[in-house]
Amino acid sequence: MKYPVYTLVLLTLILTGLNFRQPGPITAPAGKLRLVFHHQVGKDPLALGTLCRNGLGDRITIERFKYYVSHFTFTDSKGRQWKPDPQYFLIDEEIPDSKIITIQVQDIDIRQIGFLLGVDSAKNVSGIQTGALDPLKGMFWTWNSGYIMAKMEGTAERSPSPGHRFTYHIGGFRFGMNTAREIRLTIPQTSQPVREVHIAADIDRWFNGSWQIDLAETPVCHSPGVLAMRFADNYQNMFSIQSVH
Amino acid sequence: MRITKNTWVLLLILLAGAGWVAGDSAYFRPKPIAFKVPKGWPRPVYDFSKNPLTEEGFALGKKLFYDGRLSKDGSFSCGTCHQQFGAFNTYDHSLSHGFNNAFTTRNAPGLFNLAWQKDFMWDGGINHLDLQPLAPITAENEMAETLENVITKLKADKEYRKLFKAAFGDETINTQRIGKALSQFMLQLVSSNSKYDKVKRGEASFILPEQLGYQIFLQKCASCHTEPLFTDYSYRNIGLKMDDVLKDPGRMRITNRSEDSLKFKVPSLRNVAMTFPYGHDGRFFSLMSVFEHYRKNMVVSATTDPLFRNKLALSNYEIGQLTAFLYTLTDSSFLKDPRFAAPGANNNTKPPIDIHR
Ligand code: HEC
Ligand code: HEC
Repeated sequence: MKYPVYTLVLLTLILTGLNFRQPGPITAPAGKLRLVFHHQVGKDPLALGTLCRNGLGDRITIERFKYYVSHFTFTDSKGRQWKPDPQYFLIDEEIPDSKIITIQVQDIDIRQIGFLLGVDSAKNVSGIQTGALDPLKGMFWTWNSGYIMAKMEGTAERSPSPGHRFTYHIGGFRFGMNTAREIRLTIPQTSQPVREVHIAADIDRWFNGSWQIDLAETPVCHSPGVLAMRFADNYQNMFSIQSVH
Repeated sequence: MRITKNTWVLLLILLAGAGWVAGDSAYFRPKPIAFKVPKGWPRPVYDFSKNPLTEEGFALGKKLFYDGRLSKDGSFSCGTCHQQFGAFNTYDHSLSHGFNNAFTTRNAPGLFNLAWQKDFMWDGGINHLDLQPLAPITAENEMAETLENVITKLKADKEYRKLFKAAFGDETINTQRIGKALSQFMLQLVSSNSKYDKVKRGEASFILPEQLGYQIFLQKCASCHTEPLFTDYSYRNIGLKMDDVLKDPGRMRITNRSEDSLKFKVPSLRNVAMTFPYGHDGRFFSLMSVFEHYRKNMVVSATTDPLFRNKLALSNYEIGQLTAFLYTLTDSSFLKDPRFAAPGANNNTKPPIDIHR
């Protein structure tokens, strides 16, 4: 070797240079679980901008449908529960990619999936967030701080508002007005191991669930309160497992 | 094939360089600013650990505060409605003007001592200072812009990319950073150097009317306008009749509770001589009309504060002394502090710019 000194000096430089980098977080080498969300109105797949009929017989056209999911928990066949690091996803019918999410899981022996439809109250009171929770996603009320947990907009023949529109922006995180809802879905034993779960969300439930929502009477929900709580009680039951792979 | 030793050396140099470049962010060391809590004041409620104050963050926040590009037509900055001369209120305006000659629906309050404030706006609807700018930026009657557009405009500006990097370590510009930077500026708007403060610190003394006014104040006003911030940040109905155009239900808009109807946040009375007009919709043009309200014109209703069941008795004599005291709350060093001044405004002793166009 002709340049022992150079090499030494350079190596030192390289190593010190590299040393100044922050070490990245260590990600546990675990399994990947894919969750695929399918939106439907009753039995029919949702098609934005297309006339359909809800379970109460209303002729409606849905233009926008989105909601947050977060705080996943998984339970295995032995009843052990684990939670991946909190992550927030905005599932948006308009953006097909948003309807497929991938989560790192420790185990693929999964019997129950739990998640929060919405955003926990802590994130509603701690300033501006980034990523899916960035207020520029249009899911945040600027005049009455807080996330819109779920949003549905469209037109309905019986809606009395201008353009026969209906707009449901469901939010509220304070005690007694909390519209985030815990969802729990059980996976049939026969489908182990679990790599991919298809989850159906039935929009019909928004109108026709624990409460019946009359489009002619309540075409608009834009603030936390009693009506928002009814929608939340309704959408709490909109999910079901469609298939497991 | 002959890879010479020289080539190896060159490659190594490149690698060394790469290591240093990538490690660059480890050298991100903005100059910290210590936030001073005036003696005898409570602890601030703002969580500084999530947004440590730095020279660089303040400089960026100040530039944003005075930049019209945060609005749709480029002509409204935060500073248009929040003017230093009026302790950062809209000087001499009951309601402020926004985009397209629209009026705001409320009076722009002065901005100071925000680090001690938990909720913002007259109805307390905004629960974090970082979030506050999003409301005026996106409101149709204020700056009428979208957050995406603001970010696009800032990203296109080399100067801003530099300032964001200096403040946050890299050139990313997002909603969160805009909010944090504006907070850095607003948090430092601390007003604690009025004559009243100097008296409290033993550096000055009240003349007789001020002293008498202070006694009356402690008796009749301090339960809501509590020292040292001159507000307890509660929501109260002081018997202002609902304006039949604005139809503003106040705190009830946020809580949906009928018992909160017509309640508004108790405003601080610091710099009150400069923050006219008064009241949530700016309906009072002078301190005298506020006093007349308290003693005569108040409309007592179901949600009016229990303290005011029989209105608030004030004699002409008391009003005179109270006025003398309230004038001691003017902090002229704050109103003229060059650190907070609009760029290009060499001093603030001149009357403020007229925002009519
Ligand atoms: C068109 C005029 C206008 C513009 C522009 C404007 N504001 Fe305001 N600001 C107001 C009004 C009016 C209020 C009171 C609103 C309310 O209470 O409903 C207010 C309230 C506030 C408050 C709450 C103060 C308190 O004590 O609760 C803060 C903080 C604030 N503005 C900061 C800003 C910032 C930062 C910007 C720039 C991004 C800005 N404002 C732009 C008019 C304006
Ligand atoms: C029960 C609580 C309470 C008491 C007692 C009280 N105030 Fe107020 N004050 C308020 C509230 C609330 C407002 C804002 C009302 C609104 O705009 O709707 C206010 C507004 C004001 C304003 C207008 C400030 C501004 O920037 O708009 C002044 C000045 C004022 N008060 C002075 C006084 C004085 C002087 C006294 C004692 C004589 C007093 N207040 C007693 C609650 C109180």
